[in-house]
Amino acid sequence: MQLEYCLLLAAALFCIGIYGLITSRNAVRVLMSIELMLNAVNLNLMGFSNFLDPTGIKGQVFTVFVITVAAAEAAVGLAIILAIYRNRNTIDMEQFNLLKW
Amino acid sequence: MNEIFSQTIWLVPLYALVGAMLAIPWSPGIIRQTGPRPSGYINALMTFIALSHSLLALSEIWHQPVQYLSFQWLHAADLNISFDLVISPITIGALVLITGLNLAAQIYAIGYMEMDWGWARFYSLLALFEAGMSTLVLCNSLFFSYVVLEILTLGTYLLIGLWFNQSLVVTGARDAFLTKRVGDLILLMAVVALLPLAGTWNYTELAQWAKTTTIDPNIATLLCLALIAGPLGKCAQFPLHLWLDEAMEGPMPATILRNTIVVSTGAWVLIKLQPVFTLSPVASTVMIGIGSVTAIGASLIAIAQIDIKRSLSYSVSAYMGLVFIAVGTQQDETALRLLFTYAIAMSLLVMSIGGVVLNNITQDLTKYGGLWSRRPISGICYLVGAASLVAFPPLGCFWTLTEMADNLWNTHPWLVGVLVIVNGLTAFSITREFSLIFGGKPKQMTVRSPEGLWALVLPMTFGMGFALHVPILLHQWNLLPEWENLNLTVAIPLVISTLVGAGASAFIYLNEKITKPIEFKPKAVQDFFAYDLYTAQLYRVTIVFVVGLVSQIIYWFDRYLVDGVINLVGLATIFSGESLKYNVSGQTQFYFLSIFLGVILFVGVVCFPIISQFSFVLFP
Repeated sequence: MQLEYCLLLAAALFCIGIYGLITSRNAVRVLMSIELMLNAVNLNLMGFSNFLDPTGIKGQVFTVFVITVAAAEAAVGLAIILAIYRNRNTIDMEQFNLLKW
Repeated sequence: MNEIFSQTIWLVPLYALVGAMLAIPWSPGIIRQTGPRPSGYINALMTFIALSHSLLALSEIWHQPVQYLSFQWLHAADLNISFDLVISPITIGALVLITGLNLAAQIYAIGYMEMDWGWARFYSLLALFEAGMSTLVLCNSLFFSYVVLEILTLGTYLLIGLWFNQSLVVTGARDAFLTKRVGDLILLMAVVALLPLAGTWNYTELAQWAKTTTIDPNIATLLCLALIAGPLGKCAQFPLHLWLDEAMEGPMPATILRNTIVVSTGAWVLIKLQPVFTLSPVASTVMIGIGSVTAIGASLIAIAQIDIKRSLSYSVSAYMGLVFIAVGTQQDETALRLLFTYAIAMSLLVMSIGGVVLNNITQDLTKYGGLWSRRPISGICYLVGAASLVAFPPLGCFWTLTEMADNLWNTHPWLVGVLVIVNGLTAFSITREFSLIFGGKPKQMTVRSPEGLWALVLPMTFGMGFALHVPILLHQWNLLPEWENLNLTVAIPLVISTLVGAGASAFIYLNEKITKPIEFKPKAVQDFFAYDLYTAQLYRVTIVFVVGLVSQIIYWFDRYLVDGVINLVGLATIFSGESLKYNVSGQTQFYFLSIFLGVILFVGVVCFPIISQFSFVLFP
């Protein structure tokens, strides 16, 4: 029953990430929630890799890729937040509702 | 070779049609320089040619057997419509009457329409009427009779509406068209229903069919009632009689035609259909009932009128009612003879009245008086016309009315009573008009009243001569009974009713001691007849009201319900677009939520079978 616990933990972490993603007012915190979600995914990958594919461990390779891509993505995300901050002097997500209907 | 005229008798309607076309160029908008008179001359010439042709054909066909001609008109699938003509002394005699009266009316109009610019329109419509009526009497097919009746209905509309800048003319023309149209449409139902039953529209074959057929009496009754409805409207019978009263707004020469022969077109169809009516005793009873009610009612109304033209027009309805009675009692020959003698007499009356109206302007009988010494020709023509119209021996209608009463005496004695009453009332009415116009002292409107020009007087005197010769002609044609065969039991009451009616009328209206205008007690009765039994109001509160209400309801239904449903679809689309756009909230996190919910939903739907198995495991 090891895999299920692992997966449940990952799901819980993902859900926490979702909750943070859609409720945070701080844009940096949104990025942090995204990181939580990515890490939940990584937990999944590691779990599957260990329990279902112990010889090939393709999941671990996947995880490495996800970590690197997530790092790059977080960097770009922070850059975007900085660009917005320079223009609008705030990183409150509720102030960014200019592109509506 | 000696039958050239009777074999080409179908040219007679074409002469008139050619005249109608040739008149059009003199409309004020086309030939602007010369004035409209040539159109009248051309039409009078064409009518004269038609009359000569008819007369020559009549002399050829006299004592000859009846001949039939047939042209193919339409052949489609198994429907074969042929244009049948019948050439018999009766039809050609009717042609002579029609073209003769038309010639009289057209020459009369040359005088009457002197101060009018609308000759082209007027004469082409008169010619259209002549063509239509000639076609009607020649054609031997119910279908084409119907076609011609409809064309004549349209012609009536246009002819009454000649002076369309007068508002009463417009309403009169409207009523004439719609009222006659209603009758014609019901007639169309019968015409259409007759083809599957009889397999033919030919009158001769219809008569054959009616002798042998064994159709359901109810169907026969409905069929015959619908067949009556067309002539009912055409002949201005109750309750479709108001149009004739309002049609008196049209020009006088057209009135000559309408009062004498146009109303007879319906009667002609009725007479032709008489064999079919024998199928249904109910229809005959209805016909007799309508005829009697109209005859008595209209003669009473005629007495209460103060407009000369209208007073005569109700007498027209009354005499058409007598024709209905004659057809209802299977006397089609008598009905034809009555139409002939009646048309001569009535044309004479209208021509005389027209000349009087032209020079005195007013049509109000109460403003007339004392014209006898200065208008002797009009007066004598009126007297001869009046004497020919009622049972006054030895003139025209005496013989036909006596013949009719004689035929009725053994079968429907009470109808003889109707005949006597109508005769007496008509005698009263026309004597009243004569006394008011020609008798008494001149009034303001009639102080100076010259006799009309030759064009008015010539047709009038010709008509008078013809009316005086009618008994001789009837004698020549062996249509008169011998003196010893005359049924005195009916002839004497008729003559007495004439004398009593005329005498009483003359006594009342020529007597200076009785104050004019006559006040009848109670006044309500006088008004009741003077206002034509309040028929206009009756139409307004019944049929016009119902049709108006229904059309308003349908309009409302269409405008709000039918349109509304479609508009609702559009509105709903607009509204949903307007409200759904708020989903684009501008909040990135809202989009994330939408994505997340969408994925959950998708996964839920895809995984539903598995989850339901789970629940089965969890809640066994």
